[in-house]
Amino acid sequence: MTTRIGFTLLGLAGTSLVALSSSASAASTEYQDIEHGRYLSVVGDCAACHTESDAQPLAGGVSLETPFGTLMAPNITPDAKTGLGDWTFDDFKAAMTEGIGKGGYHLYPAMPYPTYTLMRDEDLRDLWAYLQTVDPVDHEVDANQLPFPFNIRLAMMGWNWLNFEDTDFAPDPDQPDDINRGAYLVEGLGHCGTCHTPRNFMGGEGGDKFSGAVIDNWYAPDITPDAHKGIGGWSEDELVEYLKTGGNRYDFASGPMADEVRHSSQYWTDEDLHAVARYLQSGAGLADDWQAEAAPAALDAENAQVSAGSAIYFDRCAGCHTPDGSGETGMFPQLAGSPVVNGDDPTSLIRVVLAGSRAVATDAKPTAPAMPALGWNLSDDDVANVLTFVRNSWGNAADAVSAEEVAELRATLQDE
Amino acid sequence: MSKTRDTAKAGGLTRRQLLGSSAALLVGASGTARALSYTDTPEWQPFSNIAATPVDDDADWQFFTPDEAATVEAIVERLIPADDLSVSGKDAGCAVFIDRQLAGLYGDYERRYMHGPFQAGTPQQGDQSPLTPQQRYRLGLASLDDHCRNTQDALFKDLGGEQRDAILAQLESGDIALDDIDSVAFFEIVLQNTMEGFFADPMYGGNRDMVAWKMVGFPGARYDYRDYIERHNEDLAFEPVSIQGRGDWSTPA
Repeated sequence: MTTRIGFTLLGLAGTSLVALSSSASAASTEYQDIEHGRYLSVVGDCAACHTESDAQPLAGGVSLETPFGTLMAPNITPDAKTGLGDWTFDDFKAAMTEGIGKGGYHLYPAMPYPTYTLMRDEDLRDLWAYLQTVDPVDHEVDANQLPFPFNIRLAMMGWNWLNFEDTDFAPDPDQPDDINRGAYLVEGLGHCGTCHTPRNFMGGEGGDKFSGAVIDNWYAPDITPDAHKGIGGWSEDELVEYLKTGGNRYDFASGPMADEVRHSSQYWTDEDLHAVARYLQSGAGLADDWQAEAAPAALDAENAQVSAGSAIYFDRCAGCHTPDGSGETGMFPQLAGSPVVNGDDPTSLIRVVLAGSRAVATDAKPTAPAMPALGWNLSDDDVANVLTFVRNSWGNAADAVSAEEVAELRATLQDE
Repeated sequence: MSKTRDTAKAGGLTRRQLLGSSAALLVGASGTARALSYTDTPEWQPFSNIAATPVDDDADWQFFTPDEAATVEAIVERLIPADDLSVSGKDAGCAVFIDRQLAGLYGDYERRYMHGPFQAGTPQQGDQSPLTPQQRYRLGLASLDDHCRNTQDALFKDLGGEQRDAILAQLESGDIALDDIDSVAFFEIVLQNTMEGFFADPMYGGNRDMVAWKMVGFPGARYDYRDYIERHNEDLAFEPVSIQGRGDWSTPA
């Protein structure tokens, strides 16, 4: 015991010497700065990737499966040997805003520096101040587990040249403060586009911003103001309710979004959530000529898939989601008019029918209702037909789902 | 190992494992607290369900010998005879249902306490027999044929319908004493299992084409009828649905 305290004191002494020697960029020790930094770490959801075990916050080790191979989020506690203990604020800033680690190596953009680069200096300082207060954990993480040639970090120079713009956040003078605050959160620390914007072949954010994308065999839905398949049909309060409590009458956060709500957005201030909702629903971040696509015409009720699907829906789904697709608020999502149901990509829908799903449990809504798995009971054709029915009933309209899509996802999920 | 048992394992826990682990929890908790408390959300896994595999009607008998199966079919055909209302218990698959049940968890009373002491007990105390369902059928069917050979000079399955009815009535009343098993107890288990097979979901081998459900107007494995509950004295014309679905689920070929 004594020995350990001795080491700790020695360690502290070492840290303060380092801090003194680079006093120009010393981390703040003011409570409000550190607390603000902690809040920013929640908004940015650092823990999503950097906390593997709650017993060792931010000590790294979460595997990130990318299309190019596996990356492991590093230890960002102030441990000198295995964490960021010997980093200065400038090192941290370079990592956050340029994707350059201490000593000049390139980070992989699984670390969202392409969006964090928008962070204001004072926010970076507060975040850094908070990170100094985290318990140092001795935990070695081998971050780069990519296969050749992706394991060559220098390749990221080229990637950055094509996909990364080192800019600071510039508020739009024509927009009110809350929209600008929303933009800062959505585009920067909140990094919504990391999942919700389609990726190009290099894994950089492609065109069609916020139009939805598949990640980890889930569909991160369209979050444009499109009223049919985006969030334009939700009220501002419904969007805030979703982010704050994990669900509204249409939808519960599941999959990767469940983690986001659990660790991050349920703890955002109401002000920040409303700013985010206003920014997203205003479409202020989209291209000037953006407009919602015309909603497709719904398939006919006599369509063979719709007709078979209606029988399956009545027998297997209507008990909870009700025959008219209105569900039960707080327990069974409303399918009629639900944007994710009308979405371009049915991956999440197929997934929850086959494998089931548990909604996120939040402080506000701790129940976490679950959808039962029906993959044992419904064939690929059945799943395709019932989803085609749901996507083309009660005002919904979207492409039919094919049995081949279902079969493919079934095989993928059962291998997971 | 029966199919049923393998399936239960593939779905996660067998019932025995589940009971075992619950018991362990209770024992573990009893030393310190009288109740278990859970925090956080219950654990959840994708694809979690304990799905039963539908029986294969065309497969070989799983428990019965072909002779035993023929006798059981001759019994269930008389317990539920074909008439204006439905096909017979035999054609509804009741013997297949009983065979598959005997080959599964039910057959050896895996879920029951089956160690002694065994005493006669009072009628109110229910079944006190040390025999498992498998043993009851094996002994009962053999004894029944012995009885028929001795009195009719024929096997039960070769008797006419009215003769069979008479023997079944005598078993039920106890007027016939079988050699190796109480005749009333044997009759009761066969009647009980025949009714179960006739009305159970078709996936278990009986109630073919939901024939029993169509007969009584039972709509099957659906969950919610709130929209219909006020519609009294009306034929709602629900086509019954099995756990495995119904014809309307398929698109026309």
